[in-house]
Amino acid sequence: MAYPLQLGLQDATSPVMEELIQFHDHTLMIALLVSTMVFYTILTTVTSKLTNKNMLDSQGIETIWTIAPALILFLIAMPSLRLLYMMDEVNNPHLTVKTIGHQWYWSYEYTDYKNLEFDSYMIPTQDLIPGQFRLLETDHRMVVPTDSPVRMLITADDTIHSWAVPTLGVKMDAIPGRLNQTTFVVSHPGVFYGQCSEICGANHSFMPISVEAIPLIHFEDWSTSMLAKI
Amino acid sequence: MSLQKPVMRGLLARRLRFHLPIAIAIGLTSAVSFKYMVTEPRKRAYAEYYKHYDVNKEFNAMREAGVFESVQPTGK
Repeated sequence: MAYPLQLGLQDATSPVMEELIQFHDHTLMIALLVSTMVFYTILTTVTSKLTNKNMLDSQGIETIWTIAPALILFLIAMPSLRLLYMMDEVNNPHLTVKTIGHQWYWSYEYTDYKNLEFDSYMIPTQDLIPGQFRLLETDHRMVVPTDSPVRMLITADDTIHSWAVPTLGVKMDAIPGRLNQTTFVVSHPGVFYGQCSEICGANHSFMPISVEAIPLIHFEDWSTSMLAKI
Repeated sequence: MSLQKPVMRGLLARRLRFHLPIAIAIGLTSAVSFKYMVTEPRKRAYAEYYKHYDVNKEFNAMREAGVFESVQPTGK
C-alpha cells in the first residue's frame, strides 16, 4: 500500500502489475537518457561563446535528430503494445464480482452461485480503531480468492466513478448505463486498498475500495457465512 | 608580420563533433546506471520474494495478527 514519501509505484500484487512496473522502469530509463542529453546540450549552449545571427541549417544533424527519436519511440511502443495485448488476454475467470459505484460508496455483488450483495462504506475517522488506516478502511471488504482470475464488472448508479486498486494494477471507470469489464489475479493473501478515481461529488475522496485476498478454501467459508447472515 | 587568418568555417560542425559524443555518453551512462541500479535489482527482488514464498505460513501469520475480517484468528 502507499507509504509516506513514496516516489514510485506501489509494490505489485498481481502479475500484470509486475509487468507494468517493469515497463515503467524501461520507459523511465529512456526518459532519463533523453533528459540528461538535453540537459547537457542546454548547459553547453548557454555557456557557449559562439554567436551567429544568421539562420543555420544542417541536413546531417536534422536527419539524426529525426531518426533517433523515431527509434526511441519504437523502443517504447514495442513493450507497450505487448503489455496492452497481454492485459486483454482471455483468462477464464474463476469468479465474477460486480461492483456498482454510488454517491458515495461501492456495492459488491457475487452472483455466480447465489445472490450475495453488500455495500462498502468508508469507516469515518472518528470510528477507526488503532492500527486501521485513515480514509482507506471500509465496513465491508470485497473478498476474493488468491491465485484465481477474477472478473470485475463495473458500473455506476449516478455519476461516473472509477474503481482502482493500484497494487493490483486495476483501474476502470464506473459509468452509468455502461458495463466495463476488467480482470485481475491476486498473487498472495493480504488486504489491498484503492480510492475512487473519478470526481463524483462532495465525498469523492471518501469512498475507498478495500480488497481482501484469502486462499480459496477460506473464501468458500466466507461466502457461505455471508449468505447465512442475509 | 601579418596575422594568421582566423578559422571562420565549420565552427558548428567542430563543436558538434566535440559535444555530441559527450552528450550521448552521458545519456547512455545514466540509462545503463538506472538499469543496473534500479531495474535489475527490482526484478531480482520480486523473483527472490516469490521463490521461497509460503502462502500458508504468510496467510496464517496475517490471520493470527487479525489482519483479515473474513477469517478470524484461531488463537494458536
